[in-house]
Amino acid sequence: MIKTKEALVLLLAGGVGSRLNILVQNRAKPAVPFAGLYRIIDFSLSNVMNSGLKKVGVLTQYKPLSLMSHMGTGEAWDFTGRSRGVKVLPPRTGSKDSDWYKGTADAVRRNIDFIEANPTDEIVILSGDHIYHMDFDAMIEYHRSKNADVTIGMMVVPKSEIHQFGAGIIDRHNRIVEWEEKPRIPRTNLASMGIYVFDRKYLLNALARDKDDVDFGMHILPWAIDNDSVFAYPFYGYWRDVGTIQAYWDANMDVLRKDSGISPQKWKIRTNVEADGRPADRAAARFGSNARLRNAMVAAGCDIKGIVENSVLAPGVIVEDGAVVRNSILFADCRIKKNAMVDLAILDKRVCVGEYAVVGAGENYTVANRLKPTHLYTGITLIGKGAHVPPAQKIGRNCVINSYIKESAYLQNIVEDGESLFPNGEIV
Amino acid sequence: MLKPTTLAMILAGGRVDELNVLTYYRPKSAVPFGGFGRVIDFALSNLMNSGIERVAILSQYRSYSLINHISTGAAWDMIGRYRRASILPPFTASDGSNWYRGSADAIFKNLDFVRYHAPEDILILSGDHIYKMDYQDMIAFHHEKDADLTVALIKVPQEEAHRFGVATIDEGEDLRGGLLRQYWEKPAQPESDWVSLTVFCFKPEILYRALEENQAGQSFEFGRDIIPLLLRQHCRVYGYKFSGYWGYTRTVEEYWQSNMDLLGERPLIDMEQWGIRTNLEHRGIRDCQPSLIGDCAIIENSMAYNGCLIEGTVRNSILFPGVHVAKGAVVENSVLFFDNVVSENCRLNKVVADVNSVYGEGVIIGADADGTAAKATVIGWNNQVPEQTIIENGATIYPNLKMGKWLRNVKSGEVLR
Repeated sequence: MIKTKEALVLLLAGGVGSRLNILVQNRAKPAVPFAGLYRIIDFSLSNVMNSGLKKVGVLTQYKPLSLMSHMGTGEAWDFTGRSRGVKVLPPRTGSKDSDWYKGTADAVRRNIDFIEANPTDEIVILSGDHIYHMDFDAMIEYHRSKNADVTIGMMVVPKSEIHQFGAGIIDRHNRIVEWEEKPRIPRTNLASMGIYVFDRKYLLNALARDKDDVDFGMHILPWAIDNDSVFAYPFYGYWRDVGTIQAYWDANMDVLRKDSGISPQKWKIRTNVEADGRPADRAAARFGSNARLRNAMVAAGCDIKGIVENSVLAPGVIVEDGAVVRNSILFADCRIKKNAMVDLAILDKRVCVGEYAVVGAGENYTVANRLKPTHLYTGITLIGKGAHVPPAQKIGRNCVINSYIKESAYLQNIVEDGESLFPNGEIV
Repeated sequence: MLKPTTLAMILAGGRVDELNVLTYYRPKSAVPFGGFGRVIDFALSNLMNSGIERVAILSQYRSYSLINHISTGAAWDMIGRYRRASILPPFTASDGSNWYRGSADAIFKNLDFVRYHAPEDILILSGDHIYKMDYQDMIAFHHEKDADLTVALIKVPQEEAHRFGVATIDEGEDLRGGLLRQYWEKPAQPESDWVSLTVFCFKPEILYRALEENQAGQSFEFGRDIIPLLLRQHCRVYGYKFSGYWGYTRTVEEYWQSNMDLLGERPLIDMEQWGIRTNLEHRGIRDCQPSLIGDCAIIENSMAYNGCLIEGTVRNSILFPGVHVAKGAVVENSVLFFDNVVSENCRLNKVVADVNSVYGEGVIIGADADGTAAKATVIGWNNQVPEQTIIENGATIYPNLKMGKWLRNVKSGEVLR
C-alpha cells in the first residue's frame, strides 16, 4: 500500500445548519438531500473514497439518526474491509454528565482515543456539509512537500462574501502569514474551505495546549499561523457551502446547467442506494404522453404527466396531469396532484400538493419571511416533510409550511407572502 | 428464522436463437429489460417477494454477464445465514460429468447440492420470463393437493399454443387448478390452450427418482421428458392456473412488444408495483446521477432510468442508463440499452439496440415515422454507426462490426456481420 494513502480522516458532521430552516428540523445538515439522489455528505465521503483514503471517523452530534442510517456500514463508499472503515463518533459523557461538543476543535479533542487507535502521519479534517470535488491525496502530498504543520484548503471568493469565511493572507510561497475569522472588512479574497491537513503530532500538541481552544477557525489556526508553519492549498473549481436556503437552491439549479462546473456523476459521487428512501427499489422514471419537460433533473421512480421546468426531482416524485412544477426542488415521493402549481419552492419528502393548489402564488418576491427574514427573502417557499397542501389552497412567496401539517391546519385558503403555518393552525 | 423448507432452482443457462445478436454474448436471462434490469430480475424478485431466498441458478451459455449480475445475491436479499444465491455452472468430475444436456440433466448433475439442502419442496423455474407471481400460493396449493408435481399453467390464444408445453386439466370446483391429465411438448395440433409457464414444484423424492430414470434416455428436458414420465407412472401431477401478464419473449418482435407493454397509461408490466429489483452494482448504474433533460427536449410516453441525457425527442421508448439523445435527434418506439449515444439529427424508429453503440450524425434506422408494423431493427453491441448511414427496418447488425464492413444503406431484413 502506498504510504500517502494512509491519512486518517475526521469528518465534522455535527453542525445544526439552522439557516436551512425546516430542512434540518429532523436531520443534520450533512444528511439534507441534494441533486435528487444524493445527500450533502455524499460529496465529502466520495471525495475521501476517490482520494484513496480508507479510514474515516464521522463526528456527529445534532440529530444523527438520518445520517447514521444513510452511512450504514460505509459499504457504499467502499469503507468495508480489513484496512478500511468508517466509524460514527457521537459525543460521550465524560468527566461531566453533559459533555456536548463545544466546537470543531473540541469535538476532535474528545476523540483523541480514536486518533491514537489509528496512528497515521497526517490527519485530514473535513466538513461534511460542502458540495465540491477534490483530491485529498494531492493535498497531502502538497502538505508534505511544504513540510507544513498545517495545510488549509483555500479558494478565491468574491470579496463581498469573505465575511462568511476564515480569511488568510499568504506570502509568495503560499504560506499563510495572517488569519482573520469572518472579517467584516475584507483584506483578502482567499477563503478557508474548512479542509485541513494536520501533521498528527502537531495536532495532538495543539489540542493539548489549552482546553478552551474549542474551534479550529477561532483558536487553533490563528495560533498556529502566528507560531508555526501553515500553508494554503489553492483549490480551483466548484465549491459551495450550501448552508443557506438561497445557496442550497442555487447549487441545485447549478446541477441543471451544463457550464456550471458541478456534475455528481463525473465527480464519481456515490450515495447509499439501500438507505432510507430505498432508491434501490425504484423502476425507471415514466413520462406520460402529455408530459412536458425542460431543463430538469429527474430521478428513477418519478412519474411525470404534467409540466416540469428548471427543477430537480428526487426519486418517486409524481406530477399528475395538468400540474406544473417550475424552479423547484422536490424531495423523494412528493406528489403534485392534477392542475396544481409549484413555483420557486423546496418540498421536503412526501409532501402532497392537492388539486388546483398553488405553492408560490403571486409575483411579490420581496416580502421576507416574518419569522426568519434572513432565511427566506428571495421568494423561495419551504414545505416541510410529509406536509399536505389542501386542494385549491394558495401559498405565497417566502412562506414556511411546517412538517407533517394536515389539511385541517389550514384555516384560510391563502397563506400570504412571508407567513409561516404551524400544525395547530397558527399563522405567524 | 428457521431453516427454509423450499429450495428454488432457476434455469438460466439457455440462449435463444431467435433473439439473435441480443444473446450473442449473454444468456437470455441476462438480456436487459425495463430500463435498468435484466430478464432474470423477474424470477429473482418474485422469489424474494415470495420469501424464498435459498436459490440456485444453473448457468451454462456465456455465463459471465449472469454471474456478474447475480454477484453476492444481496440485491435480492439473498445473503445471510440461510439466504443465498448459488450459481451452479457445469463441471467435470471423475465420473465424466460434462455439459448440461438439458434442463433435467442440469438439475440431475447437481442433485448432491439439492440433497445437501434437504428441502421439503423444490421449485424449478425458468429465468427467462417476465411475470409476477407469488410462488407461496402455488406451494400452498401443491401441499393441499399432496401433489408429486405441480405445474403452473397459463391460458394463451389457441393459435399460439403450439409453441409451448400444452396440458389438459380436470376442471373441478377448485378455481386454482386441478389434476393434470395430458401433456404435449410443442404439439403441432394443440388440444388445449393451457400452457406451461416453466414453473414447477416437486416433491423431492419424486424428482430425484424421475431424474435418475431419465438418465437412461436420449433427451433431458422437464417438459418433453419428466412431466410425461410422471404422468405415465400415475404420479399426482397437478396444474396450477396462473392468470396475469406473462412475457415469453422468444423472438425480437416479442421482446420489443413486451418492452412496449411497460408504457402507456395503464402499463401491463409495472416493475415498481411488482417490486422488481436489480443489482445496481452491475454496470455501475448506482453511480448514475438522475437523468438530465435539456432545454429543447421532448419526451413522451417513455421511460428512462438515471444517467440519461436527453436533449432531443424521445417517444414511446425505453432508455437504459447512460443513453444520450442529442439535439435534433428523434428516437421513437425503440429500446436503447446502456450507454447508447445518439448524435444530432439521427432518426431511430423501432430499434432494439444492445449496449455501447454510437450513432453518427444523421443516421436513420428503422421504419418510417408512421409505422410500428414494420419489423424491429436490431443493433448488436459496441458498434460505431458511420454518419448518414441508412438502415432499413428489420435489419440485423452484428456486434463489434469493423469499420470497413459498413454500408451506406443497409436494406430491409439484411444481416450485416
